[in-house]
Amino acid sequence: MDNVIFSSWNGKILDNREGKSPKMSESADGRFPKLTEGKRIAALMGWDGLVVMNPKADILSLTLHYLKEIRKLSCGECSVCMIGIDRLLHIMRQMDEGKGSKADIAEMKAIVKQVSVNSKCGFGQSALFPILDSIKYYKSDFLALIKGEKQLEDKDYSCAVTAPCMDACPAGLDIPGYIELIRNNKFEESLDLIRENCILPGVVGRVCTHPCEDACVRKDIDEPLSIRLLKRAAADYDLQHGGSSLNGPQKEREERIAIIGAGPAGLAAAYNLRSMGYGVSIFESLPHAGGMAAVGIPEYRLPKDILNHEIGLIRRIGVEIKVNAKVEKLSLKDLKKKGFKAVFIAVGAHTGTKIGAEGEDKGYEGFVDGVEFLRNLNLGNKVRPRKRVIVIGGGNTALDCARSCVRIGYDEVEIIYRRSRVEMPASSEEIEEAEKEGVKFQHLMAPVKILAKDGKVTGVECIKMKLGEPDESGRRRPNPIKGSEFTLDADMIIAAIGQRPELPVIPDKEKIGITQWGTIVVDPVTYMTDVEGVFAGGDCVTGPAILIDALNAGNQVAKSIDCYLQGRRLAKGVSFEGVDLKRQMGRGFTTRTPAQDVEFLDIKKREGSLAEVEGGFDAMAAISEAQRCLRCYRVVVWERAA
Amino acid sequence: MVTIAIDGRKVKAKEHSTILENTQELNIDIPTLCFHKNLSPFGACRLCTVEVKTNGRWQLAASCTTPVEDGMEIRTNSDKARESRKIAAELLYYRYPTTEAVREIARKLGLEVPEQKDEGHDCILCGLCVRACREIVGVSALAFQDRGLGRDIDEAKIEFNPNSCIGCGSCAYVCPTGYVRMESIGDKRIIWNKVFTMVACSVCGRYFAPEDQLKYISRQTNVPFERLTVCTDCR
Repeated sequence: MDNVIFSSWNGKILDNREGKSPKMSESADGRFPKLTEGKRIAALMGWDGLVVMNPKADILSLTLHYLKEIRKLSCGECSVCMIGIDRLLHIMRQMDEGKGSKADIAEMKAIVKQVSVNSKCGFGQSALFPILDSIKYYKSDFLALIKGEKQLEDKDYSCAVTAPCMDACPAGLDIPGYIELIRNNKFEESLDLIRENCILPGVVGRVCTHPCEDACVRKDIDEPLSIRLLKRAAADYDLQHGGSSLNGPQKEREERIAIIGAGPAGLAAAYNLRSMGYGVSIFESLPHAGGMAAVGIPEYRLPKDILNHEIGLIRRIGVEIKVNAKVEKLSLKDLKKKGFKAVFIAVGAHTGTKIGAEGEDKGYEGFVDGVEFLRNLNLGNKVRPRKRVIVIGGGNTALDCARSCVRIGYDEVEIIYRRSRVEMPASSEEIEEAEKEGVKFQHLMAPVKILAKDGKVTGVECIKMKLGEPDESGRRRPNPIKGSEFTLDADMIIAAIGQRPELPVIPDKEKIGITQWGTIVVDPVTYMTDVEGVFAGGDCVTGPAILIDALNAGNQVAKSIDCYLQGRRLAKGVSFEGVDLKRQMGRGFTTRTPAQDVEFLDIKKREGSLAEVEGGFDAMAAISEAQRCLRCYRVVVWERAA
Repeated sequence: MVTIAIDGRKVKAKEHSTILENTQELNIDIPTLCFHKNLSPFGACRLCTVEVKTNGRWQLAASCTTPVEDGMEIRTNSDKARESRKIAAELLYYRYPTTEAVREIARKLGLEVPEQKDEGHDCILCGLCVRACREIVGVSALAFQDRGLGRDIDEAKIEFNPNSCIGCGSCAYVCPTGYVRMESIGDKRIIWNKVFTMVACSVCGRYFAPEDQLKYISRQTNVPFERLTVCTDCR
């Protein structure tokens, strides 16, 4: 591991070129972007500074190359940023040709400062700053360039681009990119860009828990961009204008791949593999494709038409989806005999977790687990409303169950959760909407015993809890208060505290690693299980996670299977783990502008109806919202060590 | 109404109005290239920069896109504001040295601009044509070419969609540099290299509007096309 000899990263100057300050080890303190494992760096320049490991690193050429890379992302919509970068490139080339002078160094500094304070967007306001560091701390190199003692060289650099929102997105969508296209009234192109990493845009645009919005720089200024709704706007616009189709493969390949499970992971992998030309068959145990998106999310949050439209598009490029085709016994030999060269297990996590209360296994009428309840509802099975229902749990599944109960006509709907409101994993929007719909919440209590009479549920015995020290998840651990037991009446109880996978019987099971939580063990980069040619991803690997996580697993598995079939191994990409992507060295004046609003279905119209609750942006509102994006692209360029 | 201070002078300003709207009302001269009073502000040229004080801190801001806030202090002619405008003008002049609109503003902001024989008509990406087409005409035939990740484009430019264009010429009218050109030859009008057939006034016989534009007006207003073929002079 190389030692850092100079760093201005994070605004902290560490200068050890004279051997004065203590050495900083790259691994210990340096929270700057790393190249993939095993690749050594001579120096790097990025939005947050300059880091040098090798005394022979060529800072001048690195600066030039960094300028070339940020030039590609400067949009040209304001005069100073793009022309400023061009002018800096021009000055450096003039110096290289022996036509430079000391005055040029002063001009470079003035341009960087002015572009940074006067650019229209966050990119121009932050991207040029590290140039000041190379001018300030490597001035002798610039003077040597002017004198002709040094030359600029075109070397082979590595470059990566991210943004706080992109890095937070499990699927790494080019969020500033697709927002910019909407801003420019190019909804079709925006959707094309979204589809590169997210083949269910209308679905994700409705149900994603949007970690991108939590990472949005604008969150600290006024409100985060409504990134999820902008994605939905691109998908809605497409549907309103006739609906586009997906591009099929350019060439066909011989190999066929079997996918078990038509959920978001399976569908994403199927689409990607099919567009590479592979033959793809999905085996789905349920009568509908879509996985949790089809049977786990209620209609009022995700209309089935939207999901089915997007699945239909994937089918139309030649993906075969066999429904009601449960793979009870997964025999790889059989699949190979049938001509499948690789298998992707994406069965999700559709079995409810036990709540640990006495009587939950007794098969009482009126006791059901959350995923089963939602599945029945989504498959169109009649659910007879009762009087009073208690939902146990604090996540989105619990909320989905409770809000569904309101709609099918339960008189009283109550959620009980063992911690307090702040620890509830459900999104705050969901909680607020549920409250508006009349769902009652009781915190700090846990079920102890399911009460029943003649085999029918009559209530639940609970115990009060108090919060103790934080556990591994960082949330405070709930502890029961002795002797505080009490009873709640109910004629239905829905247990929604978590899910685990129900794995098919695998004859060569001893070879596929299974964790103590019943999930499948895979290589974190390639998603391959312990059995060669068998891959797994999505909820059956991670346990219940968010839709876009599963979708990304599908994207990655497709790449990995493609590599595997060509005798390669999928390589790990650049990681920005531990790097503060929100930080930028300067920020210009930003007018506070609240996000655009959307309409919600009137509360009175929600009971007895599964109509979609949240409205979307129309084109004008989407364009206005897109104007708020600060385009926080972060560029980093590495000079690799020889 | 909110109260703001412009160059130390307390004035009342309409809520949601921009700094530039208020300075123009006070006849304070702030240079602009991409501003048009009938179009939404865009903040492209960065020439209208002023200093504003919010939360106790002076910062530069484009006056055309910045709405006033109660208690906002504004300096329109500080050294920092002037310096910033000058560098923006320098950069524009560096890029478009022969375009008269740019030369004029550069001269105005104190740059030395030598006399020049050939006049250029560069697109300076002010976005006036894009906004006029979208906001006034309502057809959105023009858009900024998208840049961004993985789309390595050398020069940003305005894209023209010939299928949407109705040949009205609004873009040529608002273009400050003469880049958008409109030529008329007999019954033809050429704009963005698209040729439009002109309609002759059924009374005086003068070619007065492109057929596509009249069809568009007919569609928008439900007035039959035949009733639109008389020019405004003869109506």
